[in-house]
Amino acid sequence: MLVVCLLTVVPATFAQSTVPTDAPRDVVDAGIPPTPPASDAPDAGAELSAEELAEIQSALGADATQATLPASTPSPAPATSSGVLGAVQSLNADLSFILDASLAVFSDEEPLQAGAHDPTKTGFNFQQLEMSVGAAVDPYFRFDANIVFSQFGVEVEEAYAKTLDLPLNLQVRAGQFLTRFGRINPTHPHSWDFADQPFMLGRIFGGEGNRGLGVEASWLTPLPWFVEVIGSATDAAGGATARSFFGDRDLGVRTPLDFQLTGSVKQFFPLSDDLSLLWGLSYATGPNPTGHRNRTDVFGTDVYLKFRPVTVASNTVVALQAEVLYRRRQVPHDVLQDGGGYAQVLWKFAQRWGTAARYEFGTPAYGGQGQAAVDYLDPEWTDTRQRISANVTFWPSEFSRLRLQGAADMAKWREETGWSAFLQFEVLAGAHGAHQF
Amino acid sequence: MSRFLLLLTVVLGLVPTVARAALRVVTTVPDLAAIARAVGGDRVTVQSLALPTQDPHFVDARPSLVLDLNRADLLLAVGLELEVGWLGTLQTGARNARIQSGGRGFLDCSRLVERLGVPAGRVDRSMGDIHPGGNPHYLYDPRAAMRVARGIAERLGELDPEGKAAYAAGLQRFTSELEAARAGWEKRLASLRGMPLVTYHESFPYLASWLGFQTVAFIEPKPGIPPNPSHVAQVISLARSRQVRLVLQESYYPDTTVRLVADKVGAQFVRIPAGTDVRAGQSYREHIEEIVTLLERALKAKETP
Repeated sequence: MLVVCLLTVVPATFAQSTVPTDAPRDVVDAGIPPTPPASDAPDAGAELSAEELAEIQSALGADATQATLPASTPSPAPATSSGVLGAVQSLNADLSFILDASLAVFSDEEPLQAGAHDPTKTGFNFQQLEMSVGAAVDPYFRFDANIVFSQFGVEVEEAYAKTLDLPLNLQVRAGQFLTRFGRINPTHPHSWDFADQPFMLGRIFGGEGNRGLGVEASWLTPLPWFVEVIGSATDAAGGATARSFFGDRDLGVRTPLDFQLTGSVKQFFPLSDDLSLLWGLSYATGPNPTGHRNRTDVFGTDVYLKFRPVTVASNTVVALQAEVLYRRRQVPHDVLQDGGGYAQVLWKFAQRWGTAARYEFGTPAYGGQGQAAVDYLDPEWTDTRQRISANVTFWPSEFSRLRLQGAADMAKWREETGWSAFLQFEVLAGAHGAHQF
Repeated sequence: MSRFLLLLTVVLGLVPTVARAALRVVTTVPDLAAIARAVGGDRVTVQSLALPTQDPHFVDARPSLVLDLNRADLLLAVGLELEVGWLGTLQTGARNARIQSGGRGFLDCSRLVERLGVPAGRVDRSMGDIHPGGNPHYLYDPRAAMRVARGIAERLGELDPEGKAAYAAGLQRFTSELEAARAGWEKRLASLRGMPLVTYHESFPYLASWLGFQTVAFIEPKPGIPPNPSHVAQVISLARSRQVRLVLQESYYPDTTVRLVADKVGAQFVRIPAGTDVRAGQSYREHIEEIVTLLERALKAKETP
């Protein structure tokens, strides 16, 4: 209707006056600003001098640095849901598609990328096409699923139901889900600040992140600040999802201890209106296939400190995030121990622009006496590995982004530093649910 | 030991005072909190999730807000997808069936008002951040606020039947005060009627429908899309040809471009406070009074150069 108005009713004398003064109000409000068709643009600009145009540009620049779309911060949430059919009541689930693809260059012939959705080879990389579906099932449950399409296959990354109304502040999830170990593990590439996943996650849990079929209970404690306690039991098998546990060698479930058991505590401290601190402690334990009743334990802690001024009209975001993991594996006649982690900072410095830097480290496996030991999962990993990554991201809107990332990967067992550069592109179409903080 | 007993006494002493209010009301934006407080009086505790200085489209789903919702008896939302990017996560995390979207303790206040800006025909996101159900910024219109207040009073009465009379009285007080003030406001801003205005975002269709001004252009080329030079140039030349005298923007947006446009056009820039400052004890009527005063001052400034 607005388009019709634009094309037919606009008086010629006011080429820019999109809505005639006697038009009904709802035309102006129709969700589309009354912008004339693009072809009118040159005429409209002609009245302004070059100086004025330069002034406009510098003012826009000033606003851009003053404000930042909170769009794709780690907690981005925005999504105009039910998209096309928003006005029409419907019982269909919210459905969205997220496409991540990248152009990558690696100096190594065999890059050490650990994530299943990382760019892994020089050339074009199809990282993933994620379909997320979410809806209330009934007054008692909510359903969410993430179906991931890779170039030649489909996988059910997550599909679970979550209770909405259990007593005692309890909540139960059942189905296939990413365990809530640490901060990055439960999230999808779409909400990451980097084009690839920290290598320690891939090394300890596998390329897909730690997940499995199982059940999870979480409890919101009645303390005056936010404390959530979470426990889950999941399938311990899967080379890309539970690598340090049964991994590829599924020995089956004979006792309850043959499940992976995960526990975590998340605490949140609203330090001020502008400053937030989230702190988590995580633990996972499960069987490993190296011998009868041999077990793997993983300990982790994560912090997330976010500065986002909301008391003034500036939406700059500065977010610090760090995670450390320590792993112990019982193997015949020994205990393998190793650790690693990452620390990263994101700075959104302009309305559509942000930059981030990340440092990662990982130790080799040591035996019970601290001696060097061979890691049966990563035999080549005989020394320390460090990686530094930095990127710049441009968000045309909160539904699309372009990211240029560079990294130097210093794995001491390799002769040379591995260099890489990615140009990643992501688009989101459809109604995407809100994100966690 | 005695210190422990003292602490225990203090803690136990606090519990009844905290728990005395009949209903815990949580609202997404401060304007709704101000209205709920006016209607509910002493029988409710009211809290807003967003600050008045915060863009309600983009609120962080901070876990501390989950706690507020966990204990809430009633959640008041603006609706029309204003909070779509953050409220759902909080509702699910709250583990509180009362305030889920289908519960008695959830009220989508947009159902209480006459919506403007409902797009006719097919929409998609190439049009920007559109709201398919209509424009959600209805709380700038005190007439809409009165309808919302009536709906809130009804719902409070359903949840707390003993307080029905008190809510009716609160509603009566709120409405008569606002109605009395409205006549004065309309008189003071009578010269706005029919006046062409430029605004930054599509924030003011309800204010326009109340005060009768015409919004001839938006500085954002599309909702949620930041302005670009050619669009700003178009807006300026249009505003000049229409002799626009006021340029409005909500207080949570960056204002350099808008000030420039106002300057180029020879118009007054008016920064509209985006929400009631409930923390400072401001009431909804005082919030609208502040907006009216700012508009009035800007109009006067133009009349006496």
